Amino acid sequence: MKAEEVRSVKEEAIASIKSAGTVAELEEIRVSYLGKKGKITSALKELGMLPAEERPVVGALVNEVRQEIEQALASRREELGKSELKAKFEAERVDITLPGRKPNVGRKHLLTQVTDEIIDIFIGLGYRVAEGPEIELDYYNFEALNTPPDHPARSTTDTFYVRKAGDRPASDDALLRTHTSPVQIRVMEAAKPPIYVIVPGRVYRRDAIDPTHSPVFHQVEGLAVDEKITLGDLKGTLEVFAKAMFGEDREVRLRPHFFPFTEPSAEVDVSCFVCNRRGCRVCGNGWIEILGAGMVDPNVLAQVGYDPETVSGFAFGMGVERIAMLKYGISDMRLFFENDMRFLRQF
Amino acid sequence: MLVPFSWLKEYVHIELSPDELAKRFDLTGTAVESVKYLDKELDKVIVGLVVDCEKHPNADRLKVCQVDIGEEELRQIVCGAPNVEGGQVVPVGLPGARLPNGIELSRAKIRGIESNGMICSKSELGLGEDAAGIMVLDSTYEIGTPLAKALGLDDVVFELEVTANRPDCLGMIGVAREAAAITAAELKLPSTSVMEGVRPAAEMASVEIKDPELCPRYEARLIMGVKIGPSPLWMRRRLEKAGVRPISNIVDATNYVMIETGQPLHAFDFDQVGGGKIIVRRATEGERIVTLDEVERLLLTDDLVIADASRAIAIAGIMGGGYSEVTDRTVNVLLEAAHFKPESIMRTSRRLGLFSEASARFEKGVDPNIVQFASDRAIELMRELAGGEVLKGEIDVYPTRIEPRNLTLRTRRVNAILGASLETKEVSTILSHLGLGVKPASEDAHLLKVTVPTFRFDLEREIDLVEEVARLYGYDVIESTLPESSGKRGGLSPEQRMAGVIAERLISQGLFEARTYSFMGPQDADNMNLPADSAYRNAIPLLNPLSEEQSIMRTSLLPGLLKVVRHNLYREQYSVKEFEVGRVFMPADGAILPEEKRMLGIVLSGRVLGYEWYDKEKGRRFDFYDLKGVVTDLVERIGIGDWSIMPSKDPRFHPGKSADLLIGGEPAGAFGQIHPAVQANYDLPVEVMAAEISHDLLIEGASLERFFEEIPRFPGISLDVALVVDESVTNEEIIKMIEREGGDILESAGVFDVFQDGGIPAGKKSVAYTMTYRSTERTLTVEEAKERQAKIVARLQKDFNAIIRS
Repeated sequence: MKAEEVRSVKEEAIASIKSAGTVAELEEIRVSYLGKKGKITSALKELGMLPAEERPVVGALVNEVRQEIEQALASRREELGKSELKAKFEAERVDITLPGRKPNVGRKHLLTQVTDEIIDIFIGLGYRVAEGPEIELDYYNFEALNTPPDHPARSTTDTFYVRKAGDRPASDDALLRTHTSPVQIRVMEAAKPPIYVIVPGRVYRRDAIDPTHSPVFHQVEGLAVDEKITLGDLKGTLEVFAKAMFGEDREVRLRPHFFPFTEPSAEVDVSCFVCNRRGCRVCGNGWIEILGAGMVDPNVLAQVGYDPETVSGFAFGMGVERIAMLKYGISDMRLFFENDMRFLRQF
Repeated sequence: MLVPFSWLKEYVHIELSPDELAKRFDLTGTAVESVKYLDKELDKVIVGLVVDCEKHPNADRLKVCQVDIGEEELRQIVCGAPNVEGGQVVPVGLPGARLPNGIELSRAKIRGIESNGMICSKSELGLGEDAAGIMVLDSTYEIGTPLAKALGLDDVVFELEVTANRPDCLGMIGVAREAAAITAAELKLPSTSVMEGVRPAAEMASVEIKDPELCPRYEARLIMGVKIGPSPLWMRRRLEKAGVRPISNIVDATNYVMIETGQPLHAFDFDQVGGGKIIVRRATEGERIVTLDEVERLLLTDDLVIADASRAIAIAGIMGGGYSEVTDRTVNVLLEAAHFKPESIMRTSRRLGLFSEASARFEKGVDPNIVQFASDRAIELMRELAGGEVLKGEIDVYPTRIEPRNLTLRTRRVNAILGASLETKEVSTILSHLGLGVKPASEDAHLLKVTVPTFRFDLEREIDLVEEVARLYGYDVIESTLPESSGKRGGLSPEQRMAGVIAERLISQGLFEARTYSFMGPQDADNMNLPADSAYRNAIPLLNPLSEEQSIMRTSLLPGLLKVVRHNLYREQYSVKEFEVGRVFMPADGAILPEEKRMLGIVLSGRVLGYEWYDKEKGRRFDFYDLKGVVTDLVERIGIGDWSIMPSKDPRFHPGKSADLLIGGEPAGAFGQIHPAVQANYDLPVEVMAAEISHDLLIEGASLERFFEEIPRFPGISLDVALVVDESVTNEEIIKMIEREGGDILESAGVFDVFQDGGIPAGKKSVAYTMTYRSTERTLTVEEAKERQAKIVARLQKDFNAIIRS
């Protein structure tokens, strides 16, 4: 191939490279010039046929042209690659507004969530979790808890019985426990102080089902018995709990009250987390009653064989439904037991 | 206990506002349920005079009244009451008034006639039940004055919650004593001087207590020649504010003094007391009495009665008899002030279902030494209100005087319980404010000797005094601390942690936790398709259930969960996936308390997914394998090593689509499709997959211990085979065969396809398996794997008569 021919091949090649529309077309062009049988490759092979004096010149020229074609191919390939990729991406575009495939994951019942939250706070304070039977002896549910025989809670209108010897309460009457407090006695019977336990559980009262009553509900009870436990310790413990449960800004107020198995006793209010004590529909006067508490009555300690002069204790108990209702704005207790999927999914 | 502020202030000087006092009560243990400002409820209700009253031109039953309310012009008011007439003094609600019954008044046109207010009925004003007509007021009321003022309602009433330990606060003086203690004020008791005649009462009447245990004290006084009539306005008002209906001067005097002192009193028509004899005795066998409420009551020999010479004239401490009651014709009155044993009153009152203000007080306990005070006070009031002559002296039978209690209190003990550092002097001051006698013990300056008057009989032990100190010192000033103990090791037990793992796993499987009632009904056993001898039928019945459906303790979680499924499916919830962990109750041989077992219940019903756009099996419903996946994933996750399943005979399930779960070879529960009959019994529109497994056994068999297993370093080779076998050949049989033939280089084998269609002969099915071969020591060659595969295939052909499809 003569020098002019080489130049015209080059121009022809550059022109077709420029007009190539796809990477595939470009590959065809490359093969036709630079492939095994391509024009430039052939020109190189034919160099030997040229007169000796022309060979270096034409040889250099062919190599130069080859490089130029290669460069042109590379730059065109890059151009085409970009736009083809762009077109490809465009074609693959999805509707990002279609819903994603969410994994189907369930939830714990709200009452479990609230119970777990309470337990978690007390585990952090060094408590362990204890449980007891739901069908309980009168002895544990009432008698050992210093409840007088004629206390209204012991009547068949208030408490479900499964075994009752006669009109008067008997230690071995069996009933559906009306609170988690009998577990206090069982724990103390089984161990010596120090005792720090938190007791979640299901309890029963003979109330017909309506928005604010349920024959079945849940409590969490706490008990600490040790040397030198004071009312101040009870107050401090409940403050830690209230802040952890309802928010750091919460205040706690203890009002003297009466329970048979604690003395001194208190009802415990937390400053309203809705209105922050200004007074609103949830709280009325800025305070929300959340639990009952007190120092374990010496009679109860003596009943389990402890010496009330050397150990003292505090106990507290709260209704899980009540706390869940307050915290989540639920006004009908029946929702907790209907297990409507629309309710369960919300929490 | 309703406490009118004005009445309370008779006994104690209070400078606090009603709200401040209420707060103080609250923080010292007397819970205030409400503070009612009586006048606020009657804001914009004015005393008016109906000057003119004409028929409404457009309505037969309405009248147009011109009312003078002390303004320059008369107000025109349309009134529908049948009893409205000109000349009446009436309560007029002005526009803007918000009445106690919730009605808000405004100017209105009624049938074309302008009406500028409303003439109100008693019920609209919350002053009574009468809603039939307007309230007509005393004509002496001044026109234009606010009604509240005219009625003496510019007062505040506290509603106190009196706890079981403080029956002394069921009387105004007790409340006043408490108010005095918490405000450091002085208590002023009313005078009890009685203007007596010269005739001695003892000559006219006698008292005999036959049962001093049930009646430790009985005092009678006599007043002769009374004139029965209404009480004066001030007394009627006070009684009404305290929630007591005024009746007559004599009866009102007894009620007034009961509210004042907490001591119930009873007035007998003395002329009906046979022989002038009061005998306090137990009822005789078969004795009957007609009480004030005109009901005849049969008495038992445990009941205490007040009798005259011939018969019972009252049920002691509960209610008088109709025959001896004070009436308009009564002239001579015997006043009873007595002390009864609380337990006796409570028992009789509950048995008869008969409750009164008196029984409510007696059953909680009354101060035995207030009897004389109350008796003197009431008899003098009677004399003042009804005239007559009080006979000289009281007939007071009080065989064994009940004395004040003596207690000791250690300051050290107070401080140890409260976590405070009070001085003995402070403790002493606090207790004195409560009316207790306090003096330091001679032997120890930090020991107090406390004399507890009988009005505070609730104070029996040192700890009771500690509580009194605590509440008056103030819970709010006690410093908050945390227990200092080295003995605390918080945390969950391994079993409790495992319960958490189980719940978490089910939740991650898409199940929602449910909580159902612990009861079921006898009909649930039938509904669950249980045979007569089924253990599930052996439930513990409640002695006093609320209803038949909730009359026994559950022996299974499934009835409750099936009701949950139904609840949801009938409320547009097409996919129900729930589980419950709860207790079931089975009688335990030889033990009083039953066995409580914790069970795991699972229900899956309806559609697997909703109608998601990516769901290629739209509308597919949960089937056996969805449930089996949940169950087996759980047992694997919690590391139960030895578990298996076998076909179940549990009658609650579909016999062909259910399995028993065995842990360590022992039955631990069953799962599968609910039997179609059970499905129908619970009115379930689609099939339900359910499981009931012992949660206790799951936890017992579970283990979270794991040992690291080397990750394979050499590549594996997977080979597939598809075969046609008899329908009856199970996956388990095939897998076992493959595993046996596969030997050491077979890492795993699993089914990846199962189908039956036209291409497969009837009674046969096509199944496909993939086997993975691997060596832990070297790279396996394809030839080795293929050789082993061929061996397996040959065995399958031989043993299962399998036809190889590929």
